[in-house]
Amino acid sequence: MTEPYLERLCAFSRILRQEGLDAGPAQTADAARVLLLLGMEDRERVKTAMRTVYSKSREEQLIFDRCFDGFFLPQDVIEAKLRKQREEQVRLEQQSREAEKELQLNGQPMDFSPEQRSAYAAMPPEARQRLQGFLEKYRGTAERNPKLYGDFIHSVFARAIMEQQLLMENAGLGGLAADPEIGILYRDISQFREEEIPKAISIIQSVTRQINGELSARNPGRGEGGKLDFRRTIRRSLETGGSCNRLCWRKKRTRRKRLVLLCDVSGSMVQFSEFALRFIQSLNQVSDSSRTFLFSETMTEADPFSLENMDLFRDYVRRSGIYGRVTDLGSALESLCGKNPPVLCSGVTLIILSDTKSVDLSRAAAALMEAMRHTGRVIWLNPIPQNRWQYIRSVQTMASLCQMIPCSTLQELASACRRISRS
Amino acid sequence: MTLDQLKHWLDQAHYIYDETLATVLYVALELGRPLLIEGAAGVGKTEIAKVMAGVLDRELVRLQCYEGLDESKALYEWNYQKQLLAIQINRETVDRDGLTKQLFSDEYLLERPLLRSIRSEKPVVLLIDEIDKADEEFEAFLLELLSEMQVTIPEIGTIKASSIPLVVLTSNRARPLSEALRRRCAYVYIDYPDLEKELAILRAKLPNADDRLRVQVAQAVQKLRGQEAILKKPSIAEALDWTAALEAMGVRELTPKILKTTAGFVLKNNDDIAAAFSGEGGDMP
Repeated sequence: MTEPYLERLCAFSRILRQEGLDAGPAQTADAARVLLLLGMEDRERVKTAMRTVYSKSREEQLIFDRCFDGFFLPQDVIEAKLRKQREEQVRLEQQSREAEKELQLNGQPMDFSPEQRSAYAAMPPEARQRLQGFLEKYRGTAERNPKLYGDFIHSVFARAIMEQQLLMENAGLGGLAADPEIGILYRDISQFREEEIPKAISIIQSVTRQINGELSARNPGRGEGGKLDFRRTIRRSLETGGSCNRLCWRKKRTRRKRLVLLCDVSGSMVQFSEFALRFIQSLNQVSDSSRTFLFSETMTEADPFSLENMDLFRDYVRRSGIYGRVTDLGSALESLCGKNPPVLCSGVTLIILSDTKSVDLSRAAAALMEAMRHTGRVIWLNPIPQNRWQYIRSVQTMASLCQMIPCSTLQELASACRRISRS
Repeated sequence: MTLDQLKHWLDQAHYIYDETLATVLYVALELGRPLLIEGAAGVGKTEIAKVMAGVLDRELVRLQCYEGLDESKALYEWNYQKQLLAIQINRETVDRDGLTKQLFSDEYLLERPLLRSIRSEKPVVLLIDEIDKADEEFEAFLLELLSEMQVTIPEIGTIKASSIPLVVLTSNRARPLSEALRRRCAYVYIDYPDLEKELAILRAKLPNADDRLRVQVAQAVQKLRGQEAILKKPSIAEALDWTAALEAMGVRELTPKILKTTAGFVLKNNDDIAAAFSGEGGDMP
């Protein structure tokens, strides 16, 4: 293989490494060998052969395909891309000049960072027009009270820009969502359509099977660290005329966790709570016993039969009269702490499924601290994507008090369950 | 061997493959890498090893994995009974060291699939089936074999492979496999076949069945797989069973009535059958 080809192959390996694939020198050498054998005339064949060498799972195959399609391009496609890129750059520069003109308040530039300015420039024209409309609509106030006008307009612009930034951040997460099978794992749970729910449930079943499999593989209970099982050793030795060739060991008893689940079922949280409960309940290797409490304005203990399927769960939540009410986490935690006989005690792990949006945040925080005093451990599963946490005060408050795990997608929910089960 | 040669052999074995699978098999063979095949149950992962054994004219050595599988079942075991008998017989012997050496020789070694595959004079195809069912310790134990093609027996020492076997590992993704194991393998994921490939498989495996029936079965199976509400999707094996059953019943056309009465061949739980025939799901061909 000639020098330029090898250089290009090494550069491709570096890109794959950056994307998290195991693309070391051995893999590059294998890829070169395969290319020498197969030739480079057939693009699809080259792609398949190199995919076999570099990617070691289905997820990695998707990453590889994305990298390959972006790296090995025909000459005309490269030229077209460059042309498009230049046009896009010109358009962006023009947009940013227009944005600079628009982000003026009383003749002075508004106080926004360069990132916020570029987010504003990337906003669709109609959204920017709406903001300019605001500017004009309240211009009369500017003469009466310039400070109030300035603060108000700034807050309106800041909010719109923040939403745009969130949209841009989310757009960058779509890589793995291209595959219909895996994609559902990486999508926001609250965005699932009704017809996708059976698929999501089957994925949950498969992932929980995996987690249970991992746990049973990790605790086979036949290690030699325990006590000698004398009776079984003697019985086995009868096979070999009484000589104890192979020793038998007692299984180590593993103490499983006692879980208390506190689920927010107010309006938009129902779908997430249902998925999360399904996940946790099906982890039969994790918990010895679990009790589930549902709350919104008040709290009620869930009947285990109501958790068997989604329809039963939703009916149960509606019948219990707590659906669609405001969320009062403080009151729920207080009544949980006040239960007699006690629900929260040492050795119990309290898992809270909530988006932290609650009335009377300070009372909720105090109740959470009280609950932490009662119980061994508190884990908060939050369906709000982690990149938004910095903008929400209630999330920041609660995250500073207990361990909070992001769970906006099934993939995150699965890794949260793994963390719960391992700890 | 060239890729075209491999394809020719696969054709001769009447194996239905696509370009991707042929390339992957060729790469694994040429690099001498174990091939890790993942995919849903019943898509033909095990079949690949069987076909490769036939195509390459090699013996197929199969190791079925399960929870608790250890090296005494997979690699070797000493024949304790025979050793005890030998001790009894040679009780009066003076050369104790010689006896000990003899007791741990090949004569008393019970070969299990892994050892058999690397000690075979002629190269074999070693199928390690459902590796995800085995424990993590067993996976770690396989690493030496997969990367160095050798195994170590404490009493004998390291045994290097007399011939390099083609190793095929299959997994249903019941649990994620370790990075170390994956790194040593060439990887391929097999999905359910499309209509064209499914029909080609039905034609190849059931040459005597009515072609109209095969088309209808293939279309019905594709449609069933496309239904979100069906959790256990019908596999290729089930499509073959279904066609064979319909053929045996003398059915020439798949009517809704026949579909309902024979659905048990293709859908293996009650919820899936109910989902397939209820409401919008009932409009199968």
